[in-house]
Amino acid sequence: MSGALDILSRALSGADGFVELRYHDKSTRSVAVEQAKVEATGYARRGGVAVRVLEAGRWGSASTSRLETAAVRKAIDRARSAARANPGQAIDPLPTVDLARGQFDQPGVDEITGRSLEERITMVSGLEAHIRKAGQKVSSAACSYNETLEHKAIVTSDGARASFRLVRPELRLQAVTEGGGELSSGFESVGVTGGWDCLFAADSGERLAEKAVRTATDLLSAGHPEGGKSTVILAPSIVGLLVHEAIGHTTEADFVQAGSVAAGKLGQRVASELVTLVDSGNSEFHAGAGGTIPVDDEGVVAGRTPIIDQGILVSYLHNRQSAAKFGVAPTGNARAWEYSDEPLIRMRNTYLEPGTSSLEEMIATTEDGYLLDGPRNGQADATGEFMFAVQEARRIRRGKIAELVRGVTISGIAFEVMSTVDAISSSFRWDLGSGYCGKGQPAKVDAGGPYVRCRATIGGQQREPVSAGA
Amino acid sequence: MTDPEALEDRLAEISERILAAAAKAGADEAEVMVVASDSIETTIENSQLHSNQANEETVVGLRVYSGGALGFATANDDGCGGLDELVGEAMAQAAVMPADEYNTLPLPQPVTPVTGLCDDRLVAWGLDDCTRAASVFLQRVRSADGRVRVDSGSVSRSSSLVSLCSSTGTRLTERRAHVSGYLFGMAVEGDQVASSDYDGDVTRDADSFGGLLARAGDRFVEKCVGSLGAGRGRSYRGAAILSPEAVGEFLLPALTQAISADSVRKGKSPLAGRLGEMVAAPEFTLVDDGSLAGGLASSAFDREGVPVTRHELIGRGRLQSFLFNHYEARAAGCNSTGNAAGSASSLPSISPNRLEIEAGPASYQDMCEPDRDDTILVGRWSGSTNPITGDFSGVVKNSFAVGRQGRRPITEVMMAGNIYTALANISAISSERRLLGGTRLLPAIRLEDVSVTAA
Repeated sequence: MSGALDILSRALSGADGFVELRYHDKSTRSVAVEQAKVEATGYARRGGVAVRVLEAGRWGSASTSRLETAAVRKAIDRARSAARANPGQAIDPLPTVDLARGQFDQPGVDEITGRSLEERITMVSGLEAHIRKAGQKVSSAACSYNETLEHKAIVTSDGARASFRLVRPELRLQAVTEGGGELSSGFESVGVTGGWDCLFAADSGERLAEKAVRTATDLLSAGHPEGGKSTVILAPSIVGLLVHEAIGHTTEADFVQAGSVAAGKLGQRVASELVTLVDSGNSEFHAGAGGTIPVDDEGVVAGRTPIIDQGILVSYLHNRQSAAKFGVAPTGNARAWEYSDEPLIRMRNTYLEPGTSSLEEMIATTEDGYLLDGPRNGQADATGEFMFAVQEARRIRRGKIAELVRGVTISGIAFEVMSTVDAISSSFRWDLGSGYCGKGQPAKVDAGGPYVRCRATIGGQQREPVSAGA
Repeated sequence: MTDPEALEDRLAEISERILAAAAKAGADEAEVMVVASDSIETTIENSQLHSNQANEETVVGLRVYSGGALGFATANDDGCGGLDELVGEAMAQAAVMPADEYNTLPLPQPVTPVTGLCDDRLVAWGLDDCTRAASVFLQRVRSADGRVRVDSGSVSRSSSLVSLCSSTGTRLTERRAHVSGYLFGMAVEGDQVASSDYDGDVTRDADSFGGLLARAGDRFVEKCVGSLGAGRGRSYRGAAILSPEAVGEFLLPALTQAISADSVRKGKSPLAGRLGEMVAAPEFTLVDDGSLAGGLASSAFDREGVPVTRHELIGRGRLQSFLFNHYEARAAGCNSTGNAAGSASSLPSISPNRLEIEAGPASYQDMCEPDRDDTILVGRWSGSTNPITGDFSGVVKNSFAVGRQGRRPITEVMMAGNIYTALANISAISSERRLLGGTRLLPAIRLEDVSVTAA
């Protein structure tokens, strides 16, 4: 990596004005097994150097796939030409900030790169076989694994000189069951920043396989919920999706400037006082959160950023440009997916701080509601309206867990839902580490939290035709 | 801009060098796809031009078969020997993969070039052209309604040369270029923030781009402003009219997966074994056609060199065909439908090229003014469908309660049901269709017996 830093530094020497150089080498290995057959393995590598310049307050970008001084200098010239062709408004000067300098390698790289392809295939094949054997109604089984190894080096004309390596393994397991002429499915996934020890720290692969089979089997006989407003206890996976999709996005400073629902609400109460919501480049509480980055793609150290503190909105998420606009320090949220992408304001590991209740107490004190776990996907709006689908929704009746229902989606207005939070568990779990966030480019993120009880709308089946008066 | 002939020579040199190295390493068969791309983009942020970008890249994908076992590796050309490691990586995989009797490459087939895929005027576009188009796009939206805020957007032009070579004799190249633009944002009025929305378009034709972008800008404004003042809806079980956009977001993804031959083979499609059976209402016909001149999804050949054609997937409600690539066709004992999809950075998967739902007899305006009240008009749909079970549930966006008292925007309304049941419950298809993203030509569709839940 010092080689990359040296090449970037040499390319930068003598350059005028603000120049940011980012080397990014990303390689991915994958294995997919379905129905006892190794469907595919793959190796993909993509790397190069991104260049950003500010010319008279206007951005210009270019990239080269060649990590060579001459090629990078040529890309700087192309970026300058691009900036000069930009007739947009000049931006405020970037804030002066202590930028990262040094080596910031994350754990797990040597452990993963030391493993053979056979080991990966053996692990994935074994888990796929475990799915097929874990239930009599399993009609189809699939297990896939991929790991992404990233090397980054960032050098800027105003002082950043940092590099790091990290690795992110991910595992996905799917069971399809058949019964009574119907198909059903169960899905489990896990993803971390770290080695296999970290990947299987919370659950073994076998346990994840059994859980997928159990869900797929139970859902075969599950009915549909009746839609409407309900008390819900959200598992850490759903809490993670909620804080990421429904709140985190509305606090990204670019979205705030465009008029998101969080605009103008700094210092205001937006949630129950039980709620403290944070986005962090670190892996808080437990090691290995999937969105961990030591340094962002502008060379800013990626620390812990409280967004809501005991119900009060206290910060937005910033890159250097938006921080200058808002007169605050950058929060280390500038991230680019590929070397040729421009860094955007993105979340990292987003979570709700744990509370003091136990899950058992929360269930026992819920008269009528749902326990929701296992997100299938989700999306939120500028209004804070969110929606996500839930894999496992269990009814709670008179303080006890009751039947499983299928096809459940929950929705609400984020700040309204957060204002209804009346209990938070003391346990904590990262549970979105296999997820990717989409915002023009993908981004590897994680999210999680404790169990949270609140009120939200359950999307389900309407039993009686009712005229829809408008 | 690189001379096209020189670029073609460079790609041929890369391909032949890697094919030779693969053969030397013991590969029985090898296929090399090389894509050299050149893109420029003007990005928009917070209703302002933000940044200009220019990128060039060459990506290579190598597939090998050795003793019936598969290996695949891809990398971009770093000019420092990075491509040389591809053969070793792919062969290392083939050495530990199990043999599979269906693992072969297709033999070369005659392909008919598709016209209109590369407009040289687009290839000649510079950043000045992108910024000019982006400025006009942005100005049109800003001047139309001051309440509309643009969060982000871009205008970009991409041109590429695609080369596909194999040890079985395939030698194909194709030049492609397109230009696209989009805006994402919302309307804000006082304290009220409307649902965010987006619009844009893409074309291979330099002449039509300005008009397409102007219409996209007008639609964007209409959608953003139309969501202001949205109120709560009511819960009911009844009809939903899906706009063409909603049809694309709601019906097609799960249906596409269910008609892919790999889903069928793996026991993950509820349409398996149902060829010739009714799977949708008799008004519903779905066609895949990647052979249209100038089409964004058009090509003379698919990811494996098989000619791309037109084929009916569902005809008058009856399931007619699945989508096949070469592997799945061999496994099923039939011919590939030319639907091997993917880029140089991925193994060939299966995907439709350009999906088209046949127009119906209904007027879209009449559909949107029903003589009954239990109906919503869904502009967009944000939710999830399980393609295996068909269960769907999600939030409707840019949507309206419609009926005898007119229409009004609604918010916090969810829609749930089963997609395979919904296909049979189609009660109207519009005569008007919209081409979305250049890859899907879709009408509006009315579904019956959908569960609608309001907050």
